[in-house]
Amino acid sequence: MKRKNLMEKKMFRQYLLLVLPGFVIFTIGLIIPLVMAFRYSLTDWDGMSAEKIFVGLENYINLFQDKEFLDAWWFTIRFTIGNTVIQNIAALLFALALDSGIKAQKFYRTILFIPCLVSAVIVGFVWLKMFSNVLPEVNEVFGTSINFLLFGEKRTVLTGLLIANNWQWIGYWMLIYLAGLQSVPSDLYEAAKVDGAGPIKRFFNVTIPMLAPSITICVVGITTGSLKVYDLLVSSTKGGPGRASTSVIYQTYTTAINGRQYGYGSAMSVTLVVVLLLVALIQVRGLKKKEVQA
Amino acid sequence: MLKKLLSVVLATAMTVMLLAGCGGSSNSGDSSDSSGNSGSSESEAVTLTVLAGQSTTDAGIEDMIDEALAEKYPEITLEWECVDWGNDFQPKMQQYMQSGLPDIMIGKAQDVATYAPQGILGEIDSEYVDRGLDAAKENVTIDGATYGLVYNALYQGVYYNKTMFEENGWDIPETIEDLQAIIDDCNSKEITPFASHMVDTWSIGNVTMQFAMNDVFNTNETWGDEFRAGTTSFSDSEEMQTAYNYNELIYDNTFAETFSLEQTECDAKMVMGEAAMKVSGSWSIQNFLDIDEEFDFGIFPFPNQTSDAKLIFEPNITIMTSKETEHQDAINKVLDLLTSDEELAVEILDYTKTASMLEGVTPTFTNPSQEDIDKYAAEDRIVDVTLGNNQLVWGGFQEENAKDIAAWLQGDMTFEDCLKASDGRVDASSAE
Repeated sequence: MKRKNLMEKKMFRQYLLLVLPGFVIFTIGLIIPLVMAFRYSLTDWDGMSAEKIFVGLENYINLFQDKEFLDAWWFTIRFTIGNTVIQNIAALLFALALDSGIKAQKFYRTILFIPCLVSAVIVGFVWLKMFSNVLPEVNEVFGTSINFLLFGEKRTVLTGLLIANNWQWIGYWMLIYLAGLQSVPSDLYEAAKVDGAGPIKRFFNVTIPMLAPSITICVVGITTGSLKVYDLLVSSTKGGPGRASTSVIYQTYTTAINGRQYGYGSAMSVTLVVVLLLVALIQVRGLKKKEVQA
Repeated sequence: MLKKLLSVVLATAMTVMLLAGCGGSSNSGDSSDSSGNSGSSESEAVTLTVLAGQSTTDAGIEDMIDEALAEKYPEITLEWECVDWGNDFQPKMQQYMQSGLPDIMIGKAQDVATYAPQGILGEIDSEYVDRGLDAAKENVTIDGATYGLVYNALYQGVYYNKTMFEENGWDIPETIEDLQAIIDDCNSKEITPFASHMVDTWSIGNVTMQFAMNDVFNTNETWGDEFRAGTTSFSDSEEMQTAYNYNELIYDNTFAETFSLEQTECDAKMVMGEAAMKVSGSWSIQNFLDIDEEFDFGIFPFPNQTSDAKLIFEPNITIMTSKETEHQDAINKVLDLLTSDEELAVEILDYTKTASMLEGVTPTFTNPSQEDIDKYAAEDRIVDVTLGNNQLVWGGFQEENAKDIAAWLQGDMTFEDCLKASDGRVDASSAE
């Protein structure tokens, strides 16, 4: 008994030692900045002067009356919903297609995966050129009059950004789904077949439940990634036209840094962190319940 | 036992790497002597850190300066950090104000008004300031101390295609009615009157300040101060509303794809004769001449309501120094090089296609619009935009107002709301 306790203590110390580097990195890189951001959010600091006057919750109260901030949230929410729906469905469909035993599977997988290796800044720039130069040439060639200037108008800018973002990330999430599909035991399908289930029934009653862990990863990853969108906007729309594609992070950056309202900007960032945590928590809890084991 | 040993080694290695990384980053912003000493003598090698907030025309001048410096002061090395002035200079400055400023900062004259009151800029020795034109000192001198060395200048106004103007018999417009007549004639001949690239919000902010200089600050030099004092506002000022409204005149008479068009492409369209005019600044000259060195263009001020508009002049590359630097001698040598090496100055001016702010230095590039600039200078019709930029700062104010103007032009905001939004930003309108 004594020996067992000694062993456990040793193991515990060993775990602590192994966790230490990660804990230090996590604390320096995340916890301390978060605490500092919360501290600044209670001040009217401009980011330059030494004076940081305590204003209590004033910044948070003002946030809810700030039309620009609320508009930024509205854009971010629409962008997030659009991405989550489109990317999940498209990635799953592509994964199913590639899992069906088609020829040149590796080639298609590579082609679909390549865009996610490119920086989002480059993707933004590429699609700006696509919409303003390359695609309008299609009109010239075919004598059509399709409006390809999607980044140039408020009503179309979200569509343009969804195209650019989905083009980049569908291949990445497709790989997650593909890995999930390949781990579904084939005897489950055979059993379903024996029970008389057709392809659609097999998809909804076998594939989807077995893919639940992949769905959790993809939904949470796409949602939190979309809520944090910034770099794509910098090189494509710059938050415009006007403020039509200004995301919460873009608004936070311009307010805190360019607008010299560091305290107010910190309040914005704290709000975003809280929302991100809540969304991730709700999604993980909700989706985990639906997960089944083979 | 082996596992335990391995885990200890791994944990130690990761912790050491982490600490080493943190230690390394804290030094990255500092200047240092390669010898390890901070006090420098003539022969000691010194590395000066430089934060260069560049305009579109400026990228590349750092190589010219490095080359000239290596020849004259080989012991000095400049460690450049070049960023876009419009987007990144202010964020970088904010960052360095927390961690320690670079030895030298290159921005625009208006930056002096922003950072000098913070007490972080060093005074520039009169030996170097006096090598510049008098006009270069005016807006970088605060309470008798000069904190910026203005190196070159840009001109802003309406660039026009001279050939097109001659072929269509258009005279240089002096009044808004004259300009409207040209616009009408352009439209009747299916010529796009104005080239513009409104996807770049900065271009909207820039032209709005041009309009404001001639319609607002031309008649009231302290409009910005009065705005902060509450005696005027964007919603009340007819003059400021006129300035905002000119944006609509441009928008109604420009390319349909202006909100998807970037500067270089827009300038190319102008050179290829797809538009007759462009409200812009000297930064377009570089593009114009790169695309077609034979392109013949001129410049005139955008007419104002009182028909006495002036050409806009903007001090551009402005060198500032850190008050806390440990290498003042080396900095002075760099300032000496920049203000005394005529060959270097001409090389930079020819490359950036800008005007000199140094005494006795004239660029040698052929500037088709120089004739017009000389004409307006002779008539005393040139105004320094720093007057407006110092009162209504770019970052957080003009820049944000420009986004509202874009939203208004696209019909997403009413004109009244656009003005109210500008009024609501009054606290962000000044650097102080």
